[in-house]
Amino acid sequence: MTLPGMTLPGMTLAEALQATRVCDADATPYQAALACGFTPLHLETYFHAYLQALDSRRKVQVRTGLFGDLIGNVERLDDGLHAAAIVIEWSDLDPRLGFRQLAGWKPSQLSRIAADLEARLRQLEAAIRGAAAKFPVTVALPSLPLPPAFHTINAKTHRTSLDMRAAIANFTVRVADAGVRVVNVEGLAADRYDLKSDLLTGFPYTQAHARGLGRLLASALASPAPKKGLITDLDDTLWSGIVGEIGPAALSWDLDRRTQIHGLYQQMLDSLSEQGVLIAAASKNDPAAVDQAFRERTDLLIDPERVYPREIGWGPKSESVARILQVWNIATDAVVFIDDSPLEVAEVQRVFPQMQCAVFPKSDPAAALSLFYRLRDWFGKDQIEADDAIRASSIRRAGELQQATTAGAAGQEEFLRGLEAEITFSVNPPASETRILELVNKTNQFNLNGVRYDDATWRRMQSQEGAITLGVSYRDKFGPLGTIAVLHGRASGGRIHVETWVMSCRAFSRRIEHQTLRFLAEQWGVTRFDFAFAVTAKNGPLQALLAELSGAAPTGGTITLSAAEFRKRCPELAHRVLIKEAEAVAR
Amino acid sequence: MSAPAAEINARLTRCFAVVFPDLSPDRIPLASQPDVPGWDSVAAITLLTVVEEEFGIKIDLELLPDLDSFAALSEHLSRQ
Repeated sequence: MTLPGMTLPGMTLAEALQATRVCDADATPYQAALACGFTPLHLETYFHAYLQALDSRRKVQVRTGLFGDLIGNVERLDDGLHAAAIVIEWSDLDPRLGFRQLAGWKPSQLSRIAADLEARLRQLEAAIRGAAAKFPVTVALPSLPLPPAFHTINAKTHRTSLDMRAAIANFTVRVADAGVRVVNVEGLAADRYDLKSDLLTGFPYTQAHARGLGRLLASALASPAPKKGLITDLDDTLWSGIVGEIGPAALSWDLDRRTQIHGLYQQMLDSLSEQGVLIAAASKNDPAAVDQAFRERTDLLIDPERVYPREIGWGPKSESVARILQVWNIATDAVVFIDDSPLEVAEVQRVFPQMQCAVFPKSDPAAALSLFYRLRDWFGKDQIEADDAIRASSIRRAGELQQATTAGAAGQEEFLRGLEAEITFSVNPPASETRILELVNKTNQFNLNGVRYDDATWRRMQSQEGAITLGVSYRDKFGPLGTIAVLHGRASGGRIHVETWVMSCRAFSRRIEHQTLRFLAEQWGVTRFDFAFAVTAKNGPLQALLAELSGAAPTGGTITLSAAEFRKRCPELAHRVLIKEAEAVAR
Repeated sequence: MSAPAAEINARLTRCFAVVFPDLSPDRIPLASQPDVPGWDSVAAITLLTVVEEEFGIKIDLELLPDLDSFAALSEHLSRQ
C-alpha cells in the first residue's frame, strides 16, 4: 500500500549516491541542513539524494552538525540555508533513553527522566522556532522504540512513558503552529533500529528506515507544486453501476451493496474540491441519464455544482479531456485523470503523456486506498486559503463571461465597462500570505520567465533595497476571483526591474495586467520598465502582451518599455482600484 | 584469474566507482584506505553497505578495519 510521502521511487544506497551528483548544468546552489544527534551516515545520503531528485534545477549541498549535540546543531543553523531537516530521537532528549551511554535505568530515575525531557523539549522548541523564522524547517519526531527502561512488562505502557509521549505531542503541536512541517512516520518500515550499527558507528537506523525517513524529510521540504485539477469517469468510478442501463436510482456507493469504495472516492473528491482542486467528469454516456443522476441523487457525497465541466458523450475520452482542459485553461501536467477502464486510461495517457493517469481499482479496496493516499500526495498543500474555495466557481464564471462576451451584441469595450470590476493591489504583502509564492510557483502561461523560488530565497528577495511586491486581487459583478496575480521587482531612479510577474489564467481578458503596469507607473513614478523576460514552453500569453505593448515579438533577455510607450498603447481601463496597506509603499 | 573472481572484481569496481567517483578506473584495483582521498570511516561504512547491496550479502561491521583495500574486499567476497 502506498502511504504518505511514498510516491518517490525507492533507491539503493548506490543509486542514492549517484542521484546526489545529478543536476542541470546551470543548477543553482541549494544549501540544506540535516540536524540530528547521531552519525547521519546513510540518512544524509538518502535525504540529499531525494532532495536532489525532486528538482534537478538546483545543486543540493547538505550540511550536518556535531555528534551528540542536537540542540546545539539546531541553534547553529545559519541564515544562508534554504531549508533544514531536524531529526529527533529519544536519546537526544535524555541519554538514558539511548543505548550508547550507561546512565542507568533505575525505577527511581524515571520521574527525573520525564521532567528533564520536558525541559529539553522547551530548549529544542526555542531553537527550532528561531530556525523556522528564517527558512522552511521539517521535523521528524522519535521514530525508534524506547529502551526497556521501564519496570512494567512490555505489554503494558508505563505511566512515565505516557507522560513522555504526551510531552512530545504537545511539543509537536507548538512547533507545527510555528509553521514547522512535521513529517508523518506512520508508513515507515517496522524494522527501524540497528543496535549493532548504533554501538559501532553511532548510526542507529536500518537501511530501510534511513531510506524511508530521508525520502519523507525531502518530500516534506520540497514537495512538487500541487496538481490543480482532477478529471473523473462516472460509471463504476464515481459510482457503482452503469447509469444508462440501470438508471440513477440503482447506482450505489454504500456498505450494503458492497460499493463503499465509490462513496469513499466521492468523499475524497469532495474534500479535494473544497481545498480548491478543480473536478470535472469525462464519461461515455447518455447526457440525459447523467444529468438525471446528478439531479435526482441528492445523496451524492460531492456537490454536483463542483463537478464542472461535465463532458458526456460517445467520442474518445481524450477529446472530452481536451475540451475540459480548454475550459479550465491549465497545463496537462497539472491534471490527474481517473477511470476504471485501463483502456480509457491508456488512450488518454497516449494523447496527454504529461498527465497523471490512474486506473480506479473498483474491485480492489487495498489498491483503492493506495490511490486515495496518492491523491493526497498529488494535491496536498500546507494551507488552504480563501482563494482556494472560490477557484471552481470562478472557473465556471469565466466560462459564462466568455459566453457573454461572444454572444452579446455590445462590443468588448462596452462589456468590460459593464463588469463593475474592482482591483485591489496589496503592496508588499507579508511572507505569511502563502498564496503569493504559491501563485508564482505554479503559474505557467502568464509567467514572465518561469523562474520558481523556494521560501527562503523569496523572503530574501522581499528584503532587498527597493523591492516591490504586488499581490493583485480581482472581483466583478460575477463575483470574486481572489488573489490572481503577483508582480515582484526592484525600483530605482524612476525605473523598475520586474523580476517576477505571473497571473492566473482565470483572470485573462480583463486587462488586469495593464492596470498593474499603470498602477506601478503612477504610484512609483516609474518612467521605464525593464522586464526580466525569458521564453518558456508555455508563456505564450505573456509573450503576446509584451508584443502588444512594445510593438515587437519578444525574444529572451531584458525587455525595456517606457511608461510613455505603455500609455500610448494601453487600452481603456474601467476598473476601480483599491490599495491595501498603502502606507507600506516604499518609494 | 578465474571467471568468478573476474566477475567479483568487475562488480566491486562498480561499487568503488560509486563511492569514490574521483578515483580513476585504472587505480581502483590498487585502492587502499591510506591512498584514497576521502576514504574515511563514513566512506568505509558507505562502501561496505554498497557492496552488501551489490552482492546481496551481509558483512559484519566488526570486519570493517580489515576490509581496507580493494584486494582485501575482493578476497573476502571470494570466500563467501
